[in-house]
Parts: sequence; C-alpha cells; structure tokens
Amino acid sequence: MSKIIGAVEIGTSCAKALVGEVTEGKSLNIVGKSVRKNEGMRKGEIVDFRKVASSVHAALEEAEKMSGTTVDSVYLAQTGAHIKGSFLRGSANVASPDGRVSVDDLQTAANEAKRKQPASGRSYVHHVRMPIQLDGRSVEDPVGMIGKKVELIYWSIEGDESAIRMNLDLAHNYGLEVADLILSSIASSTMVAGPDLRRAGVLVIDLGAGVTDLALYRNGNVAYTGVIPVGGDHLTGDLSMGLRVLEPYAEELKLEYGKAQSDPSDADQQLWIIGNKTIGDRKVPRKTMTDIIHVRVVELFEIISKELGDLLDTSELGAGVLLTGGASRLPGIEQLASKVLGVPVTKANFPSGLGNELAQPENSTVLGLLHYGLEDHGLPGEQHKPTNSGFIKKLGGLIGI
Amino acid sequence: MNTNQETFFETNDDSSLNNNSFGIRAKVIGVGGAGISLVDGLRFDNFDFVDNLIIDVDIKAVADSLASQKLTFGRRHTRGMGTGGDVNLGKRLAEEEKDKIRKELEGVDLIFLLAGLGGGVGGGAAPVVARLAREHGALVFAFTPLPFSWEKTRHAQAEECLSELRKHANAVIPLPNDSLLQMGGEDSTALECFAEAGRNVSRGIAAICNIVYKKGMIDVDFSYLRKVFSGRGGRTLFGYGKGSGTEGLREALRDLLVCPMLHMPDVSKAADILLIFIQGGTSLSMSGLQSVSKEIRDSFKAGEDVVFGAHVDENLGEEVKITILGVTSLDPLVPTADVAPVAQQVLELGKNPKQSHRSKLEITNTSPEKTSSMATRKKRGRKSDNKEQNTFFFMEAENQRGIFDDLPSRNMYEGEDLDVPSYLRRGVKIVI
Repeated sequence: MSKIIGAVEIGTSCAKALVGEVTEGKSLNIVGKSVRKNEGMRKGEIVDFRKVASSVHAALEEAEKMSGTTVDSVYLAQTGAHIKGSFLRGSANVASPDGRVSVDDLQTAANEAKRKQPASGRSYVHHVRMPIQLDGRSVEDPVGMIGKKVELIYWSIEGDESAIRMNLDLAHNYGLEVADLILSSIASSTMVAGPDLRRAGVLVIDLGAGVTDLALYRNGNVAYTGVIPVGGDHLTGDLSMGLRVLEPYAEELKLEYGKAQSDPSDADQQLWIIGNKTIGDRKVPRKTMTDIIHVRVVELFEIISKELGDLLDTSELGAGVLLTGGASRLPGIEQLASKVLGVPVTKANFPSGLGNELAQPENSTVLGLLHYGLEDHGLPGEQHKPTNSGFIKKLGGLIGI
Repeated sequence: MNTNQETFFETNDDSSLNNNSFGIRAKVIGVGGAGISLVDGLRFDNFDFVDNLIIDVDIKAVADSLASQKLTFGRRHTRGMGTGGDVNLGKRLAEEEKDKIRKELEGVDLIFLLAGLGGGVGGGAAPVVARLAREHGALVFAFTPLPFSWEKTRHAQAEECLSELRKHANAVIPLPNDSLLQMGGEDSTALECFAEAGRNVSRGIAAICNIVYKKGMIDVDFSYLRKVFSGRGGRTLFGYGKGSGTEGLREALRDLLVCPMLHMPDVSKAADILLIFIQGGTSLSMSGLQSVSKEIRDSFKAGEDVVFGAHVDENLGEEVKITILGVTSLDPLVPTADVAPVAQQVLELGKNPKQSHRSKLEITNTSPEKTSSMATRKKRGRKSDNKEQNTFFFMEAENQRGIFDDLPSRNMYEGEDLDVPSYLRRGVKIVI
C-alpha cells in the first residue's frame, strides 16, 4: 500500500515542488520534482502574490505530471524575517491515583504549554517538542510509567499571520490541503544533519536567496532557530550597486566568478560584465568584485554570531557548523565562516541514496520537508494526524505536533 | 568665442550674462557647522553675483567663516555656543527668530541651501529656512551631507530631518558620507574625499547657475527652471562625468553612468524632472550633444521636464563635463497655465532668429498634445513611456530602482539597514 505526499517550498528565487511515494509507511521515493523561477518574492516574503502563485502552481503541475499522479496534501515550508522562536512549557500532575502517566496527562501538559496565544496579528507556525520530562528526567515515552508530574517543552515558532496565511493560500488555491507547515530551517537541518550529528550538537546554516535560516541542535534537540533577512540576493544587489551593473549581469557574475575571499591571482584579473563585448560592455577588476562579496559574507556571519551569542560554543557543537542552501555554493565561504564564527564549518552533505540531481544544497529544505513530514512528531499514544486535516483550523490555535 | 561656434552664439555679443535672467538673485546659504564649511569650500569662477550667507548659533564658527554675509541666532538660549546636536533646539531657535532669517531671504529667487543634517542647527534649522524661503517664492535646492551609517543615532536623526526638508525644498540632494569613501582614487585620503564632497556641491550649484546666468550654446531662462522644479521634490539623483579627447562626449557619458553618486541606496534611478548641463571645449558638436542628451534622458527615464544646458568653455580644450540633477516629483505634474510646455516654448523661441541657439535639440519633436497628457501622469508610471529606448545595454532594463527598493520596509538590524550594501556601510572602498 503506497501513499503519495507532496512538499512545497516557496523560496525567494524559486518555487520547488516534490512528489514522494511512501511505500509501506517506510521507504520514500521521489517520483516528481519541479523548480520554477519565482519573481514575486523578496527576502522570503511575498511582494507579488500573483507572480508567486503562478510559479508555485506551475511547479506543482509539472511535478504532478512527472509523477503521473495527483497530490492531495503537501508539507509547506515557512520562513521569513517575521519568524521568531521561543520556548513554551506546560506541566500536569499525574491524574491517576496509582501514579501512572496516561496519554491524557500528556495532553493536559501540552495544552497548558500551548495555551499562551501569540500576540494579535501573529500566529504559530510550528511547535517542536523537546523530550518529555517526567519528574525532571527526560523520557522518550512516559505513558504507563510511575511519577508525579509530566512536563512538556516546545520550541515554538510564530510569525506574522498575514504572511503565513498568504503562504497557505498559495497551496489552497491549487486545491491542496496543507498537511503541515514546517519551518524551513528545521526541514533543511533534518535533511543534512542526521540524528547522530544532532546529538553531537550542530548548527545548520541554510543560505537561501532571500534569507538565511538557522537551526541549532544540542543533545539531539532544537535549541534555537532563527531567520536572518540576508541571503544570496544581497550579494547580487551589492555587486549590482558596487560594479554599477544591472541585477541580471550581477547575478551571472556572482555565479560565474564569485568567491568569498580574494587571493593573489585576482590582482590583475579583469572581468567583462556582459561577456560578449557588445557596446556598453566594460571590464571590472575581479578583486573589486571579490571585495564586495567578502564584506557582505563577513557581515552575515558576524550577525549570525551575534544572534547566537553563547549558543555558539565549540564544546557544545561536536558536529560543528554545516552550510547548505544555494548561496553555500560560493567558493571559500566555509573557510571565511569558520574564521568569523570561530567554529569548524563545512559544507553539508546529503545522505547517500539521493540522486545527484536532487542532492544539491538548494534542495535541502524541500527534501527535508518530506523527511520531516514522514517522521512521527506527535505525542506518544496520540493518533498520527491524518494528512488531510485542514490547516486553517490550527492557525492561531493549537498545533498538535 | 571661437568663430566655429558662431552659428550658436548669435546673441552672444556684448555680455556673457543671459539677459533673460537679468535681475535674478541667487544666494548660497550654509546652515550649521557642516553648511558653513561647505560654503567656505565653494569654488566658482565668475560667479560674483551669487551671495554667500551663513547661519549658525555658534558665534565662533560664524566669525571664522569667509562668507560675505553672516547671521547668528539663538544667542539668548545658547549664549553663542552650539546646540550640542539637539535638532529640536535648532528648530525652535530658528522659529523664534524667523523674522531675522526672513530678512535675509527677501528678494532672493534662487537659494542653494547647504546643511549637514546630522547636526542640531543643520538638521533643525535648515528645514525652517527652506520653508521660509519657499514662502518668499524662492526656488530652493538643498545639498545635504548625511552622517555615516555607523553613526547610528545621528544617522537616524538626519534621515528624519531629510524628510522634513523634503517637505519644503524643491530638490534635496543628499550627500551621504558613506559615499565619500567611494569617491576619488584608490589611495585618496579622508581629507581628499571630503574635499570631493565640497566639489560635488560646487558642481551642482555651478551647473544650475551656469544655465540660468551664463549664455551658452543652449540655455533656459529662470522662469522655465522655476516652472520645471516648482513641485515638491521626492528622491533625487545627482551625478557627473567627464571625458576628453576626440570621443570626449561619449567618454563623459560613460563616466557619468558609473558615477558613484548615482549608485547609492536611496538615489532615484529615474527622474520626472531632469537637469542636464554639459560643458566642453570648442569641439563640442551639436549632433553629439543631441545624441548624448537623449541617452541621458532615456537612461534616467526622464519625462518632458528636462532642463538642458550646454556651454562652451575654451579653457576646457578637449575636455567635456556632464552634470545631471534629477528629481522624482511627489506632486502630480499638472502643467500650469501661465507657462507654455517645453516643446511650445522652444518652438516659439525657435521662430526668433536672435534666439535660435535654444532650438537645436530635438526636444522639439514632441507634440503639444503628448506633452500635456504625459505631464499629468504620476511619478512611477513611466516604464511604458520608454518603448524606444536606445541607450547603453547595461543601463537598460526596467529594474533600475535598486534591488530591494520595491520593499515597503527597511531591513534594520542594530540601527543599520541590511539591504544597503555592506561595503558602503563598512566604508570599504570599491574601485572599478
């Protein structure tokens, strides 16, 4: 018995759709995939709804066509500068007279944790559950165990309600249910940092076109997520202004010649802006170009370092820092990041078994959506949510992950 | 004048002053410390008829200045010392003694307001001066240095003052200190960079004064300048370029298009109103001017409101200099009844052989109907107006407004706008 699920990431540069086939609830095959340029977004936020809608719908249509089937529900990625995370806690005294923890006790604790409503105009995107605490001890599944008090802790992510609603509408307008809204950084780190790395402690930095998503894991659990509204587009923008060329040429130059750190070989090298030496083409020094990129990249990692503060502790980050996302393709970025952050930084790898075409840094979020979505994040004893549950219900309310 | 140029200078007999602008009074007013140093640093040749006035609360700073006219105010409150960067104080003091300031503005038609907006007097009093000047019917162009973006609170304060000033002045040209570091050669010192800022102000003022006062190949009179710039100015652009040799004009154009002043955040990439001033040696050709001015107008998506001036300066030899100043209009451009649209004006003038030097540009191609319909369009709807763009390939395309310019809010992080290139905020010099 196989099941079809979809994943949609509406990224600043591209809308991506994947169709996966899950056989016997276990193995996942990706049977459809499509990427469409997206011109309606800036820094992870929608500025032109109709442009975004047409590229998302085109991507979905193509992915469905490729898979030869239709998708009913999708996992949708959410990011944007408006996203904030914080810990929510809830606890419950064990109700039964014999002191055995029941599913109801967990539900009570969960409800208490999620009772705190976000401010008006904000709503929850995602609650990531930490291990359950039974009388102060971490336990995987306390149901049936004896104790006095269960405590639940969630890393709860909230964002601007209208931005989230627009994101959801993009899927709904295509006639799709949203099975779950998943924070982009959680999705991509699920993909590139396996359980062993998460236990060792890892920071995953997903350098997208519009924004940079951060997810930090300690002892296997999320300790922090963040979104920094700076991405690869800023490199293009800086180049466009600094070299005084139009954005499309700046983008091409970045992809072709961009690097994070200049080296002596740049000194006398000149690059043609357009490349075909037509009228209006002119040369720019490669060193200048690298300098422009260099300052931006240094600044980005300085901001990341400031945002993380004490969390950026080498002793707690056994697996170091992993870079993924399209902008992580920039040559030399890991060395520069390592210098600024003071922690070993490497480019992230994908688990083996993915085709070469999929195993690319810009795909980690969309791939991660499927993987995260397949995992069971519910409370022990709780029914795994049917994927066709309406998401709108949950908006502004409780998300039972 | 060189005899080759005779055809363009029929009326250029006895005086180099433009008769139509006779009696137009211009004044350069420096407000506050930075304003005073800019006034003292101005270098014009043959512009004795432009008065210099400086205004400050700091008696010592005023006393040390070389300006011909001086005004101190706020003495009762500050005992002759500065405002300590307090914008509200600067504003209040100026309001209190506005009659004193008004007196200095009487009868002045054209005002160049120079003020550093990071200071208490510059930021607080300059908008007051601009308002008073407008009440007197003067045309006000402001050149305003802005603090470095790492001077966070001062920078934020200056931006508020900038929007205040924009409410009153006809055109405000910000000169961000961030941009200074991008000027000059690779090894230029800070002092040279600041001197360059002063030169920018001189260039701007000289371009406008030349067009109004001096007689050249192509001029406009003051009433036309006033009409074109009569609205409330929004974002502006200001740039210059120079070139020399046989291809001097083309080279100046190329230099202009990569001018660092035109590639700053917040600089408008399109101008509803555009002033173009070209100076060159005797080899300046009419056809060259025509094609270059067209390319400039296309590059900056200029509408009908173009002020174009071209002067021959024999001292320049083969050198050519272009200065442009553009404004996006905040008010819809409604043509005023008493002034004829450019095309008509130029055509009418063209009938008079004595003034035929005005009619050489193909600005005249536009029909009057088109002029009035286009003149009423609002500021951003110009993309479709430029179907026959024939400009430099790399300056073409529509997204000229900076890559994050379409976003409603700024990307602030610890007082800095992250959408502004890091190299500008970090003062890293970019040499191209």
